[in-house]
Amino acid sequence: MKKYYNMVKRWDIILIILLVLLSLLPYVIFSMQQAQNVSADSSRVAVISIDNEEVERVTLTGNEGTDVFDIQESGSHINTVEVHDDRIRMKSATCSDQVCVRTGYISKPGETIVCLPHKVIIEIQTENDDTDDLIISS
Amino acid sequence: MTKNQRLVYIALLAAQAVIISLLERAIPFPFAVAPGAKLGLANIITCMALYTLSTKDACKVVAIRLVLAALLGGTISTFMYSASGAILSFIGMWSVKRLGPSRVSLIGVSTTGAILHNVGQLAVASWIAQTWTVLLYLPVLSFVGILSGIAIGIAANYLLTHVEKLHYYKFLHELD
Repeated sequence: MKKYYNMVKRWDIILIILLVLLSLLPYVIFSMQQAQNVSADSSRVAVISIDNEEVERVTLTGNEGTDVFDIQESGSHINTVEVHDDRIRMKSATCSDQVCVRTGYISKPGETIVCLPHKVIIEIQTENDDTDDLIISS
Repeated sequence: MTKNQRLVYIALLAAQAVIISLLERAIPFPFAVAPGAKLGLANIITCMALYTLSTKDACKVVAIRLVLAALLGGTISTFMYSASGAILSFIGMWSVKRLGPSRVSLIGVSTTGAILHNVGQLAVASWIAQTWTVLLYLPVLSFVGILSGIAIGIAANYLLTHVEKLHYYKFLHELD
């Protein structure tokens, strides 16, 4: 075991700490951004898109019960989405890697389920219900 | 090393890297926590190439590995992901190695490679998906990346000191 300790040099540790910080950076930026535009009456919406085109919008806040539906783009590309209360997951998919199915349920803003082979993306966004942006100042 | 020896050595390293990445694809799924994470065993070969060959030849090894692994059971999209990851991690590993052997060991080099590979892949994924929230997945992947990077660094260090030929090539490389 001592042999392995000698193997580690000082810069190894510095580098690893730097890289950990680097990988946390997107998360920090996102939560700062999120803190700015979340208000009390905002609701969470799951946006499902294929190839950057939005195909389905499900409001998750206050949703109850289970809902299962298919997202089908062309031919054999089928992704089955399940919405259970305020969580959403990919129940099954005909893609090759099944990464989207293994991701499991998501519910927090910013979380995503990505099915790269089918270019299907489920993203949780926050939506503000207030009508502030309708006020036109002249 | 004569020119022929070097050519054979490059070809051998590239062939080993291809076989390792094919074998790794056959391992079903070692990490239940992080879908999409891989062990990155082929990183051993990149470390080997960096420490025993010139930069140009190490580039050749990585490029051959990328193209062959893509031809032997990848698609255009997987090629794009692995290419962006490999290029970014190669640049990172090369510059980390420039710090010198007294400052940084193989563990640091291979960990940098592992994490930058994830960064590159997720960058391409978020570019394709047109949403940068994909990058929020980075902490989970880099946790696995750090663990496997350390393990691979130890393995590569072991190989470089104990396989006589590699040790000799490393010595020759350090002479130039």
